[in-house]
Amino acid sequence: MTATADVGIAATAVAAPQAATSKRRLPLSAKIAGGVILIIVLLAIFAPLLTSYSPTVGSLTDRLQPIGTSGHLLGTDGQGRDILTRMLYGARPSLMTGLIPVAVSGTLGTTLGLIAGMGSKFTRGAIMRTLDVFYAFPAVLLAIAIAAALGSGISNSVIALAVILIPPVARVAESETGRLRSADFIEAANASGARKSAIAFRQVLPNIAPAVVVYCTALIGLSIVYAAGLSFLGLGISPPKAEWGLMISDLQQYIFTQPQLLLVPAIAILIASVAFNVLGDGLRSYLNVRSETA
Amino acid sequence: MITFLSRRIAAAIPILIGVSIVVFITIKIIPGDPIASLLGPTSTPEARSELTARLGLNRALPIQYFSWIGHTVRGDLGNSIAKQTAVRPLVFDAFKNTLILTLFAAILAFAAGLLLGAIAALRRGKISAAISNAISLFSISVPQYSIALLLIIYLATGTGWFPSAGMYNAIGGGGWGDLFAHIVLPGISAALVPAGIIARMFRSVVIDVMSMDFIDSMRARGLSERKILWHAFHNTMPTLLTIAGLQLGYLLGGVIFVETIFAWPGLGLLVYQSITQRDLPVIQAGVIVSALAFVLINLIVDALHATIDPRVRA
Repeated sequence: MTATADVGIAATAVAAPQAATSKRRLPLSAKIAGGVILIIVLLAIFAPLLTSYSPTVGSLTDRLQPIGTSGHLLGTDGQGRDILTRMLYGARPSLMTGLIPVAVSGTLGTTLGLIAGMGSKFTRGAIMRTLDVFYAFPAVLLAIAIAAALGSGISNSVIALAVILIPPVARVAESETGRLRSADFIEAANASGARKSAIAFRQVLPNIAPAVVVYCTALIGLSIVYAAGLSFLGLGISPPKAEWGLMISDLQQYIFTQPQLLLVPAIAILIASVAFNVLGDGLRSYLNVRSETA
Repeated sequence: MITFLSRRIAAAIPILIGVSIVVFITIKIIPGDPIASLLGPTSTPEARSELTARLGLNRALPIQYFSWIGHTVRGDLGNSIAKQTAVRPLVFDAFKNTLILTLFAAILAFAAGLLLGAIAALRRGKISAAISNAISLFSISVPQYSIALLLIIYLATGTGWFPSAGMYNAIGGGGWGDLFAHIVLPGISAALVPAGIIARMFRSVVIDVMSMDFIDSMRARGLSERKILWHAFHNTMPTLLTIAGLQLGYLLGGVIFVETIFAWPGLGLLVYQSITQRDLPVIQAGVIVSALAFVLINLIVDALHATIDPRVRA
């Protein structure tokens, strides 16, 4: 009986904000951003079909060809590798290091935030004060320190990024949960004898989800930027693999002779980051999420 | 006020202890043997075990931790393995340079952020507000290294307007003019993200304040728009202060990419170099010092907050 009551309450609780949002439309800018992200994803998936060159092996006779060379649309790097090919293949790790840390920290952070928000004063204090310790570090520096401690490699930079992204997600989830704690439908669920975990996942979670999803969308852009930054510093993916941050670091030595080659990966990261932030911003107004948590 | 401050300081202590534990653990999992890198590959096992014992690395981890934290609290940050000098002057010199860059970037970020935020809030529905919003969203998304490289390509190596690296010219350098020429590009690169964040936060605060009843009442009493804005601005101060603290802290530890690209001799560059050289004492000290600065800035912000807004003292 509790189960049906839970479902009924959850359904109305979710239905109310939806009714309010039905008038809203996703802004055009967010649709464009979504389109850009989709294109990047498709290019990454179909990279082998789109180019005949190898991303890792170049031809030393074709070193440092400028942008627009026939056969090498975006030029070649210091080892004669086609930059367009490396950009296409490089989109894969760049997207993964954007998505995976956010998925991990989104799940763990939301769970921690829910437990802290629904738990006793002691539980909340223990979780949030522990997370405060991680807040005392500048995020970039902590990511660099963790990545350096674990050694280079793409999985280690994913771990480092997931660790630094958990506290902010948990804080958003906790503050959203806190706002719901005394809401009527939670009181009703409590009175109906529902277990705390059931309330947390069936009632609270659907209601804090919009805020968390919006926040995480913007974090994907940040995660891509940080991951590429780690590779740029030599702490991410190892050469000769293609990755946008690593390409910047490779091409940086030609900044005086062939600066426009360096711009290709630098601008690609910029576009991906802007696209995820614009999409997150559009979702925020579409889902009617408060903007203070950004 | 004094009870408020002592409560805040008491709350900061467990955070600092936690910070030191995290740094200690992070350093302990770094692969590679510091003893082997100190003595080189030709060292004898006896020499290695002697140095291990002398550095206390054969003791239990909790004992190593307490010995390290004891020295750190007394201001003894140990010796750099790579540079064979004391860590403290290294880290403090670098920190001073980072502070200079950070303050410059913070001024830029605040000037741009407040302007963009104010336009976005006060010209709502107009094209100028839409442009301001777009600029701040864009500026939040810009990776430091992308903008840094763009600035070097177009304003340093391309045109020769600004130097592309360092803090002073190697030959005939020094002085404020030279420092200013060197700080402009890294300052802009570091300021973009905080400028966007400040703009967005300031916009939402101004919108909130402008919809309060006292604004309507001032309008009804016929106050000039300029006076009303001044009162509104006064009410945004507490939030502004919080933003200032957060962004200053963000900049202090976040300029590592800018410092690396522009070869700015700050804490970020020092930590980065020490990571490549496996110079553990310097990494430890660098991370601890920036975390300490971060916590200190937050304490100062809280104190100022309590001074201008008595409600938070309760």
